[in-house]
Amino acid sequence: MHVHERNPKRTLITILLFALVIVFGWITMKKPRFNYALTPQQTVDMVINHRGCFHPYELEKVLNHKGGDVILIDIRNNFDFAKGHIPGALNITSVNLLNEENIKQLDEWKKNNVKVVFYHDDQLQANGAWMLFRQIGYSNTYVLLGGYRYFASYKDNLKQSEGTCLKGTAKYDFATVAKKSVAGFGDVSTSKPAKKVKVRRKKKEKAASGGC
Amino acid sequence: MNRNYLFLTLLMLVLAIGTFFIKKDDVYKNQIKPETLLQVITQPSRYVTTDQVAKRIIEKDPTLELIDVRLPGDFDKFTLPDAINVPLKDIFTDKGQDNLGIEDLNVVFFSNDDIIADQAWVIATRLGYKNMYVMKGGLNCWIETIINPTMPPETASEIEFEQFRFRKAASLYFTGGSTTQPVSVTKAKVKVRRKKKEKAASGGC
Repeated sequence: MHVHERNPKRTLITILLFALVIVFGWITMKKPRFNYALTPQQTVDMVINHRGCFHPYELEKVLNHKGGDVILIDIRNNFDFAKGHIPGALNITSVNLLNEENIKQLDEWKKNNVKVVFYHDDQLQANGAWMLFRQIGYSNTYVLLGGYRYFASYKDNLKQSEGTCLKGTAKYDFATVAKKSVAGFGDVSTSKPAKKVKVRRKKKEKAASGGC
Repeated sequence: MNRNYLFLTLLMLVLAIGTFFIKKDDVYKNQIKPETLLQVITQPSRYVTTDQVAKRIIEKDPTLELIDVRLPGDFDKFTLPDAINVPLKDIFTDKGQDNLGIEDLNVVFFSNDDIIADQAWVIATRLGYKNMYVMKGGLNCWIETIINPTMPPETASEIEFEQFRFRKAASLYFTGGSTTQPVSVTKAKVKVRRKKKEKAASGGC
């Protein structure tokens, strides 16, 4: 007989204490606030297929209150927002987007299938925030193509110059433009001010066009 | 042998083995937290101007890694000197990721404009890669500022003229590369005015 088996409950107590520590650790384990819902490759597929783009012409419906459930969020700073914004837009500066109360609001919109459209001065500046929200599972978020700058210039007829706000396209036939410049510099007149090279507008190819 | 001890040992073993499985679902081990990602995303420090890129190409900066994220068809027609082609859809495959995170290399993503390059940057940053930049304005801006720079108006500041002179020289450097007058090319290279960094930041698309 071992000495400590005089108290057979001793091992039981040890087991219980041990289990308690494990359970306590499990409960207090720090859970991350956000998890990525999309893998990098899924994110790539999303942007390549232009999912989540909000076109400026779609704003017309929203502004006339016929667009269904769409919330516009201006992610610029308060100052720019105060100077001018799309009517009806809310202002949440991009750095504050993940704050508790904003997330609560976003969760609610997500639950109710409300489209949330982020915009900044242009698409590029809203791109990051939009991609972040898509990646952490807010599949109801969109990015406004052209951004506020496009809206401000064409608000009377948003459809009009839609082509100018689509990003990702080549404005020039790069190879030709670069070659033409070579021909230009071959001349004697190198000291002349920048020679304007005629630019051949390329027709938009489907593969390269758009992008968000 | 006391049966209780046996049970205790088994329990501990099971729990110990269990810890191996806790971290298993974390495939992307360098991935940064969404909160951190938002912090980085809202900083504009990832954008470099076409002037900065041109300067570093001309200086043959060995730490520069240019990644063209357009499709191979576009890449074959035109790209920047020494750029490599990794289309956006291939960057985050195992093979594509070999191009990222190389020590001492600064990656500059570029595309037709900056949006697709920026998207590549966002995902790569999420995966924890460092030292990456986006060429602001992309190749469209490259053509407008470096290949065909426009003369600033006479009222422009000295800085703008300085910038224009740099661009003119850079234009010669880049377009002259394929002509049959190598002499003038070298000359053009010598003429390049080194610009101070803060000047490079001004202007652009």
